[in-house]
Amino acid sequence: MADISRRALLGLLGAGALGVAASGKRLTARDIPGRNTDALNIAILGTAQDAEARQNLVRAFNARHPDIPVRVQAIQGADWSNFFAKILTLVAAGTPPDVCVVATEGAQLFADRLAHPLDEFVRRDKAEIQDYFDDVHPSLLEAFMYQGSLYQLPMDFNAANVYYNTAALNRAGLERPKTDWTQHDFVDYARAMRKGATGDFRSFFWTNRLWGGVVPWLYINDTSFLAESKATGGDWFWQTFYAKDPSSASRSGGYQWLEPNAEDPKVAETFEYLRALVAEGLASSPAQGGGNELVARFAQGKIGMTPAGGFWVQGLNEGGMAEDDFDVSFFPRWRSQRHQFGAAGYTIMRTSERKDEAWEWIKFCASKEAMALAMPDPNTTPTRRSMVNEAFYSGKGPKHWQVFYDTLDRFPTTGPIPAPPQQAAVETALIKNVLGAITGPAAGVPRALGTMQRDLDIALRRKS
Amino acid sequence: MTVTAPTRPQLEPTAAPHAVTGRRATRARKLMAGAFLAPTVIGITLFTLVPIVASILLAFFRWDIISSPKFVGVDNFVEMGTDPTVRVAFLNTIGFVIVAVTLQLAVALGLAVFVQSKMPSWLRTFFRSALFFPLILSAASVSLVMAYLFNQDFGLVNAALALIGLPAVPWLTSPGGAMVVVILVYVWQNFGFSFLLFVGGLASIPKDVYEASSIDGVTGWRQFRNITLPLVSPTLLVASVMAIISALQIFDQPYVLTRGGPGDSTRTAVMVIFESAFQQLQFGRASAIGIVLTLLIMGVTALQFRLSRRFVFYQ
Repeated sequence: MADISRRALLGLLGAGALGVAASGKRLTARDIPGRNTDALNIAILGTAQDAEARQNLVRAFNARHPDIPVRVQAIQGADWSNFFAKILTLVAAGTPPDVCVVATEGAQLFADRLAHPLDEFVRRDKAEIQDYFDDVHPSLLEAFMYQGSLYQLPMDFNAANVYYNTAALNRAGLERPKTDWTQHDFVDYARAMRKGATGDFRSFFWTNRLWGGVVPWLYINDTSFLAESKATGGDWFWQTFYAKDPSSASRSGGYQWLEPNAEDPKVAETFEYLRALVAEGLASSPAQGGGNELVARFAQGKIGMTPAGGFWVQGLNEGGMAEDDFDVSFFPRWRSQRHQFGAAGYTIMRTSERKDEAWEWIKFCASKEAMALAMPDPNTTPTRRSMVNEAFYSGKGPKHWQVFYDTLDRFPTTGPIPAPPQQAAVETALIKNVLGAITGPAAGVPRALGTMQRDLDIALRRKS
Repeated sequence: MTVTAPTRPQLEPTAAPHAVTGRRATRARKLMAGAFLAPTVIGITLFTLVPIVASILLAFFRWDIISSPKFVGVDNFVEMGTDPTVRVAFLNTIGFVIVAVTLQLAVALGLAVFVQSKMPSWLRTFFRSALFFPLILSAASVSLVMAYLFNQDFGLVNAALALIGLPAVPWLTSPGGAMVVVILVYVWQNFGFSFLLFVGGLASIPKDVYEASSIDGVTGWRQFRNITLPLVSPTLLVASVMAIISALQIFDQPYVLTRGGPGDSTRTAVMVIFESAFQQLQFGRASAIGIVLTLLIMGVTALQFRLSRRFVFYQ
């Protein structure tokens, strides 16, 4: 083998590196999403496959707006707070998106610090956008008002309903729950389901989280862990777009959660109710976790009832459940029968230099055509009432799919999950204290709620 | 007769025909060394030193990424001292370290002694591989699987208990149970490294020491206590220093298994740092907690080396 000098070797390596650098397509700093590009950069929560799945939406948008190139940037996150943290990192890095998907969990955080209000745009394009508002329940819009301004047009939502396994119901000899069944009826149902079951069956399975955890129970008992109030303002919006809606007079400039409310006697009563369910073995002890595990167990018939929204239909179908294997009902009535929901939509970032183009994207996505493209399957609930129809649930169930939108229509006080700008800290304070209250003896409930009150107070007062 | 000094045998050519010599050659070598070291130096500077300095500075500011940092002096440290969550997290971490590291070292040493005992070499190889295996798995994925196993309602562990007539245990939903699971999962996954160190340490003990002690009638536990333990003590020091440093940074297992709950019962110092920074956007507070944790790690390590003078024996 011929000897080669060090200098010659380095020369060869350098030449090779230049050759590689010069040849073919390669990654450069320009390929970092959102950097040095003229495209409207849209951040979504999801994987690269999710971004790819939106390309038909992008194509339809470009057919109408060929002059606005769009880049959908998928950002993965274990949950919404994880996703929001990554968006904030993009902001800090100087490469924020122009438009960002934001759910109720982050709506006020973004409105407070990052988002641009849509007021000027909706006013300007009233004629075009009125069709959307005519089709969407005002509660969903009120959830995205912040201090009198509108920040998002919600595209999909999920209210907490009770899914039940029809086999478990039939085995227990039960009828479908009535619309106004009570919390006592719920206990009777749980007992009857357990009586007829074998193996590791749980009548009621729930997870410890903000959406679908303890909150629906608090809401039906006419309380919450944070004191809810309404901001002034917003009349311009309600009088303009919902003038004919009878509830518009009572609508506001958005929700406010300014004080902790964990020591409210009704909160203690609700926790004691849930604690007793767990202690009797009717309900699971709520562990942390996502929905996939729950879907599998529900599909296997190991769970009688669980809180879920319209997003579950597709998952259960893929899990092998036929239309009549499961059904859905409202949460029971207690002092009230107020339900909870979470929604999501696009928001325009304050830092965007393409706000007009961003609004065109949002306006397009709110159209019926775009929403049909964006939501071909029932893995969420479209905010347009007209889209929640027989055809959407055909072949996948459930039989009473009307429950999803009726949660808003029949219960106008139904509201969003509590999510102030300090939502991440508030959620941590809630979740970490739920188990302490639920799993101990009855005497431990007040102490656990006292700790929750303290933690919520710290979370709401803390400045970044 | 002329005596000539013997010439030194030439082992290597003194210089290549075209090589540069003297000061120029030294400078070229330095340049070459610098070129090879540069990527590492730049990497360490950018990704270790700069963040350390930035973190120390940030601890005296309030900063949420979006707004400009605001100087707050020692407020972050004062708030940290009065925050019950931070206090509990540090106490949990210390308690976890004491129990988990003790268990980890005991299991590792016990198994190392067992594997070094008389057995076929293929069986020894099998044990070494099998016991080291958990260490190469991702802590997050192990914890996810363990969360299924220890699920109160549907987990295999409770199913096994039910088979022998025992009631279901709220492993992850009771404060005591959750910490027990976190410790078990952590120890199961991490003892392999200490185990390998101990296998090496035990192998270095001369056989004749054991033979001499056997002739004197010292066997079994007395042999372990009076010969094995003192002679393996240098390895024990290294293993314990590394185990404590690693355990003080416990995050993955409690984060995936319990998210710090129930209550704050499995919340650890690094979890509070993560939550402060990446969930609550309080980077100053997170930095302050990080500095205190670093000082704690340094203090414990220094203490270990100090104490080692009494307990570590070198041959």
